[in-house]
Amino acid sequence: MAKLTVSAAPHIHSGASTNRIMLDVLIALLPATVASVVIFGLKSLIVITACVITALVGEALFNIVTKRKQTIGDFSAVVTGLLLALNLSTNVPAWQCVIGTLFAIICVKCLFGGLGCNFANPAITGRVFMLVAFSAVAGGANPTIVDLTTSATPLEQLGKGETLELMDLFLGLHGGAIGETCILALIIGFVYLLVRKVITWHTPVVFIATVFVLYLAFTGDVMMALSQILAGGLFIGAIFMATDYVTTPITTRGRIVFALGCGVITFIIRYFCAYPEGVSFSILIMNILTPFIEKWTAKEPLGGVK
Amino acid sequence: MQFRKNISTLKVHHNKHTAGCKPIRVAPPKEVLLPMNMHSGSPAEPIVAVGDYVRVGQLIAKPGEGMSCPVHATVSGTVSAIEPMKQADGRSALTIKIESDGKMEQDPNLKPPVFDDVDGFLAAVKDSGVVGLGGAAFPLWGKLDAIRKNQIDTVLVNAAECEPYITSDTRMMVDHTDLVVKGVHLLHKWMNAKKVVICIEDNKQEAIDKLREALAGEDWAEIFILPAIYPQGAKQVLLYNVTGQVVKGGQRMASLGVIIINVSSTAKMAQYMETGMPLVDRIVTIDGSAVKEPKNLIAPIGTPISYLVEQAGGLSCEPGKVLIGGPMLGAAVASMDEPSKKATNSLLFLTEKEAKIYEPTACIRCGRCVANCPVSLNPAALARAMESENEDVRFAKLQEFSVGQCIECACCSYVCPAHKPLMESNKQGKRFVKKYKAEHAEGGK
Repeated sequence: MAKLTVSAAPHIHSGASTNRIMLDVLIALLPATVASVVIFGLKSLIVITACVITALVGEALFNIVTKRKQTIGDFSAVVTGLLLALNLSTNVPAWQCVIGTLFAIICVKCLFGGLGCNFANPAITGRVFMLVAFSAVAGGANPTIVDLTTSATPLEQLGKGETLELMDLFLGLHGGAIGETCILALIIGFVYLLVRKVITWHTPVVFIATVFVLYLAFTGDVMMALSQILAGGLFIGAIFMATDYVTTPITTRGRIVFALGCGVITFIIRYFCAYPEGVSFSILIMNILTPFIEKWTAKEPLGGVK
Repeated sequence: MQFRKNISTLKVHHNKHTAGCKPIRVAPPKEVLLPMNMHSGSPAEPIVAVGDYVRVGQLIAKPGEGMSCPVHATVSGTVSAIEPMKQADGRSALTIKIESDGKMEQDPNLKPPVFDDVDGFLAAVKDSGVVGLGGAAFPLWGKLDAIRKNQIDTVLVNAAECEPYITSDTRMMVDHTDLVVKGVHLLHKWMNAKKVVICIEDNKQEAIDKLREALAGEDWAEIFILPAIYPQGAKQVLLYNVTGQVVKGGQRMASLGVIIINVSSTAKMAQYMETGMPLVDRIVTIDGSAVKEPKNLIAPIGTPISYLVEQAGGLSCEPGKVLIGGPMLGAAVASMDEPSKKATNSLLFLTEKEAKIYEPTACIRCGRCVANCPVSLNPAALARAMESENEDVRFAKLQEFSVGQCIECACCSYVCPAHKPLMESNKQGKRFVKKYKAEHAEGGK
């Protein structure tokens, strides 16, 4: 008779796996990826390809050089590469994509111990790094499917006091990072993630609502508040970056606090500072505060005694 | 209105294929193996010798020191060996082997116990050899002994049977409603309880109906219907969902005036009081994908697993894993020669594919373990604490995250996408805390 397997309980499993979660994130990003190619043309494919391949090769090489177990099979590197790419504009040359992605994968993720150990979101940190190291990463490029008279991003236009067509904002027919503009595609991805129970609604909804409410309170202008949430990287940030498991609090309560903080910081940067966009910075700052939020919002165990 | 926090639970597939299967009594096995540690506490001590002829129900091992339980012969025949035998958990236990003569002759000296006070009742419960039959295997008398120090207001009869597959408690309630009811009356009387509550999941309608009918008119008896979710039958969860009370760290449940007794234990206790026949057999659910036909059997305790599955109609394929108990908390056995024991409520035979072991990967902090923990622990943080090399740091972290409150229900391990053995890690964490405390208590003095 064959040998019986002896292992610790439980002997059944929900079937959830890290690979499946990462795959779900990739599937959820698919509409935004397709939209980016439709709106910005084949140039966006160059950005995406450069980032994704660099992410995979970078992590694979790091694992080989440091003699670690190969981890590229868990798709998390692909997620990082794709997310970073979707946060860049077609104006970014491929070599900058490569350097930015290497920074994200090697310095932010692998050097901290790989998946699960990094304290900051690799894609966000990569983007902020590129913002500082190179010229503007989000602006300057126009959609190829519509003729626009301006090359300014909607946030820059809003900053100058111009008004924008909400439908254009919703469909993403304006300048910006390739994956951030089409809100429709991002919402489809959001719904998919909710259905697959990869994330809960709390973080994205609280994040976006906070920005909306603060703009409404400070300007009293509903159109302005709506334009502000639809423009820039708020949706992609709230749905895909602020919900990153590794770099955000582990409890729902903590995640709500995290999202609130992100919303407030985004608003402060956009409204009070010279810099037009604040989503990346807000998430990065809250990433750093995550251990403290987690401590403050820890659940009281049932029957626990202090 | 009382505000009550909702306890996190899981929806697992019930797989109660055998709920409608009336238990079938198996033909006497050729031999039975009776380990002396079928209960928690100290092992029983054999009082028979190799070569002795024993009959069904005859005392063959007396209780050991302190918390312990007697063992009775479960077949008639000759004691063929008394020797240590290796068990599923790797430990070895003294085991009495009886070669059956196939007659199942009853011990003629058996008679219902006579008593007129609580001490007499407790002594009789001890003599019955009954333990927690839901899997816990804690001697029943030990639990009821709480009456000596505590006022017991409520007895909860645990009939949740929340583990998938298992239906032995269900069948006990449906086929032996009278015994359950008699047991409930005994508990009410001797525990001097204001209320006896039968706690049962809503997927056992037949049992609910039968018990309702049998207990109609008893205002102290209540049937509490719970949603069928896992781990409804875990002590802390059941207590909270039924009474709203919580056992605090370091506290005993009895100090709250509540004890929880498994429903089959209740019935088996009543059977002993009625007939004088101690615990010698029980209902065992035989199920799993590798079994031809899932069934419920009534088998002498100590019957080898291989014999039971054969009696149930055999296997449809080579099993990859064999479990004593349910799929969430059951123990995998190394060999089918092992016997079923007092607390064996089911035997599950899983296919090779179901037995596949996944290599744990890195925690991605997805929070599923936290969201699904019935007692609101942070299993991810506890697992990280266990990785601390420094013992003082490990101890402090485990205490900070209240490892002692873990109810070992395995929900965390079940949902973990990284396949981390979180419950196992918590069990080790508890052992470590105990050891650390003991060492430092000595060192301090």
